[in-house]
Amino acid sequence: MPENFESFIQQHRDAFEEPGPSPRVWDALERELEGGRKGRVVSLLGKNWFKAAVIAVLLVNAAVLFYIARHKQQQQQDLAVVIPEMQDAKVYYSNRINEKLELINAYPASELGLDSAARQELQLRNDTYKTLENELKNNPGNQRIRGAMIRYYQLKLELLDKILEELHEKHAAPTTHTKKQYEAEI
Amino acid sequence: MNQTQIDGNVIDRCKRGDVRAFRELYNAYAAAMYNICLRMTGNVSDAEDTLQEAFIQVHRNIGKLEREASVTAWIKRIVVNHCLNNLRKKKVYFEEVEEVEVAEEVGIDEDSFTWTVSAVKSAIHGLPQGYRTVLNLYLFEDYSHREIADMMGITESTVKTQYMRAKEKVRQIVKQQNLIR
Repeated sequence: MPENFESFIQQHRDAFEEPGPSPRVWDALERELEGGRKGRVVSLLGKNWFKAAVIAVLLVNAAVLFYIARHKQQQQQDLAVVIPEMQDAKVYYSNRINEKLELINAYPASELGLDSAARQELQLRNDTYKTLENELKNNPGNQRIRGAMIRYYQLKLELLDKILEELHEKHAAPTTHTKKQYEAEI
Repeated sequence: MNQTQIDGNVIDRCKRGDVRAFRELYNAYAAAMYNICLRMTGNVSDAEDTLQEAFIQVHRNIGKLEREASVTAWIKRIVVNHCLNNLRKKKVYFEEVEEVEVAEEVGIDEDSFTWTVSAVKSAIHGLPQGYRTVLNLYLFEDYSHREIADMMGITESTVKTQYMRAKEKVRQIVKQQNLIR
């Protein structure tokens, strides 16, 4: 490596730095933080937090189903590409979701307070997922369904994160292993 | 990086929900963390969005930060994880590569190289995303190959190979730029 690439970077390290972000980042952040205060009402629900979580899942499911129904007429088949990409996304998100479910399920049922219907809803392969998956199989090139599928994965991950955060704040982690796993996530 | 201005008092006030204290924390770290985001995402808009998301995560989790922990390392880890997650959301997958020895190109007159910051910046920017990520984390953020492998979910040997290839590619791009001038 001529003149040693690494040492060139180290010698000119400051010259690689740009000025900081625009003020709009803090403005947006501040609005978000102030909006977050209203969210404290949710935590005041205390032991009922899990009910709020389940309601959130049901709302997400309903929204996705509504979205599919509404746009079904507009769907155009494009069988060109897609499936390999979706398979990659499915593997990636499924793994992350299953990891988080394992962490949640490691807590004793009494601490979770979730009944079997709620637990079922938290699983990856619930009715909404199956509906989306079938839709995608029937319309493999449809961008809207692909988008809905990815958004579904992301919403599920966000919800599981929220539940884990709540669990972590309210209870000691069940095992050292899962605690370490959770901390590594943060 | 201006983190020396941040003391335990600021962190304690942040934990109590003091937004002004959080602003002090943000001001101390924003520039350095923004540069990480900019290098990782490659554009201003994504860098600012990622920075904002990362600081929301910092705010949410600051109660878990222990006094003796390094605030800088903790914030930096959150920022880097957000960058990596956002890249994955954009369908950037960090894949394993074959472990082959990367030979440096022979026959190049190394004295003819003119290394300039702008040339190197531009060359790094032109790297494939996986190479660029590894190179940035190693060279600019000072993570070890092992740490990068853990964060990206690939093997340490893949990281080393990608780093070597990234360096070689930068060298070739800069050489090309030298020839064009």
